[in-house]
Amino acid sequence: MDFDLKPEHQALRRFLREFVQEEIKPLVKQIDRTSLVPDELLKKAAAAGLFGIPFSQKYGGMGAGEMGYCILMEELGRADASTTAILGAHTGIGVMTMYLDGTEELKRRYLPDLCAGRKIAAFALTEANAGSDAASIRMRAVREGDSYILDGEKMWITNGPVADVLSVLAITDPSLGARGGATCFAVESKWEGFSAGKREEKMGLHGSPTAALKFDNLRVPQENVIGKVGLGFVTMMKTLDVGRVSLGAATLGGAQAALEAAMQWAKMRVQFGRNLANMQSIQFMVADMAAEIESLRSLVYRTAWLVDAGRPFTKEAGMCKLLGSEIASRCIDRALQIHGALGFTRDGWVERAWRDSRINEIFEGTNEIQRIVIASELFQEIGVRIRP
Amino acid sequence: MKIVVAIKQVLDPRGFTVNRKAEKIFVNREEYIINPPDRCALEAALRLKEAAGAEVIVLAGGPERAGDALRQAWAMGADRGIHLTDKLFAGADGLVAAKLLATAIRKLADVDLALTGDRALDTGAGEVGPRLAEALGWPHILAAHRVEVSDGMVKAIVAVGKQFFAVQAQRPAVVVIASGANQPRYGNAARVINSYREWNPEVWNAADLGLAESDLKVAVEKRGQAFPPERQPGTLLSSAGELVGLLKRQRVI
Repeated sequence: MDFDLKPEHQALRRFLREFVQEEIKPLVKQIDRTSLVPDELLKKAAAAGLFGIPFSQKYGGMGAGEMGYCILMEELGRADASTTAILGAHTGIGVMTMYLDGTEELKRRYLPDLCAGRKIAAFALTEANAGSDAASIRMRAVREGDSYILDGEKMWITNGPVADVLSVLAITDPSLGARGGATCFAVESKWEGFSAGKREEKMGLHGSPTAALKFDNLRVPQENVIGKVGLGFVTMMKTLDVGRVSLGAATLGGAQAALEAAMQWAKMRVQFGRNLANMQSIQFMVADMAAEIESLRSLVYRTAWLVDAGRPFTKEAGMCKLLGSEIASRCIDRALQIHGALGFTRDGWVERAWRDSRINEIFEGTNEIQRIVIASELFQEIGVRIRP
Repeated sequence: MKIVVAIKQVLDPRGFTVNRKAEKIFVNREEYIINPPDRCALEAALRLKEAAGAEVIVLAGGPERAGDALRQAWAMGADRGIHLTDKLFAGADGLVAAKLLATAIRKLADVDLALTGDRALDTGAGEVGPRLAEALGWPHILAAHRVEVSDGMVKAIVAVGKQFFAVQAQRPAVVVIASGANQPRYGNAARVINSYREWNPEVWNAADLGLAESDLKVAVEKRGQAFPPERQPGTLLSSAGELVGLLKRQRVI
């Protein structure tokens, strides 16, 4: 058993770390204050290949697999959550839907532009009345000749206002509902009938554009069906599954950054004639943070390995997201405590990280849903089927 | 056009801390990077390739891990990477390093330019560039910030103190690139992955270069090492009168 990353992945990590620390980290405060990730930065990221890390090189991707993608998300998570959200929604779920279940023809049509960052993707499942209860979506897709007419609204869509291509779930057979009667479509935002609402004003993740989307009698050619007609819900769930692993990686990066910052502060700050590092209360906090991070690290990269090896990973993916979001929240909160009043000011980074990290326990499937997923997988292993 | 870039792999300074009092260096993270000025040299070569068309060949000496530096160079856009490695090369000083590079460059034949950084992060000697030019019998340009080629010549903007001069030399020539002369590119993630999957550096040893042990005798003998003396902070003076008074009190004037 070799626990080391393969040399190409180690080199990828060095490459990504350098890019993120040089190009993204200096802009973090600006991104939060102006609620914008600069176009210039996204262009540089695209040139470096950051928009297509996991996908096969035959479609224009970078060929680094889920392992490489988790490395990207961890490195991004160490620096800025907003940029992580843009790239994560694009790669991890937006493009991923097409990559997992799209036809060869669909992939060749869309993936090259998406992997090169010339186009941005989004994942549109959630609706106002269907969050955790994703199966109760109402958006309709009515067959008309060789197209489908989509009508309805989506809510809370990350990258929604800026996406060029979206993976959208709609009901094609109302008598069956979402499970068995929904279909996944690749929709282009430039098509007639698409509009994005105003950007949500959020607690954090200010640089990540999120909005409601309207699909008003929007015509989609049948060639743009992703996966099988009627089995769109399975496609969406499969995509979310793998997306969770990389979210675990992103939260790992955030937690790691919190630990490192807390330790640097503990080294510098002197009270009662010694630095904080020499106080047991701080030592215990740091030790607890590090132990949790180490366990998360093993979990995330082993799950990435399961994905790349083609082995089942649903249960572990749920664990990655569940533990990752909670560990990151705890570590960032501890880092805030260690920084004291300085951590509370908007001038530092802890305050922003604290606001940005809260959403991790909510989106991409709430932690409550993750617990249901994990429990379902566990009980299935002993022959008990949990009702959805 | 054939451009050779000589790079050195050095320990990443962000991975070690120095304890002055104990005169000790603690390596917390043993990681290696391409010597930053050499990376600027590679960037300069790649820009010439984009502007005028060229084959960029990177040479690196060192133990097995130097292969990682060559792979990174290829990922940035170099066409070939050659690892000069042999037990006999261990402990090479500036003179031997220059000899190795010169021999490799002669073996490559028809090389127009040899680029390298102005100094290595670890030794700080800055010898290899000029010694290489001497070994090859080529002209050399130092502290280059901008490099251009045209009809058999190489032109550069070089820094001398706080001034810049435009200089030129006939090719083939050695051009030593100043630290921080440019912002080296990152490369592309796919090439980083492929640099380990579908590419390998070429390996040349002493026999490939036709060098025997007697050719590789170092000129430098290391007799000891010590930290430089601690510099005392100076006194900040605010006027010429104060300076004169100070010098008078110290009986300098």
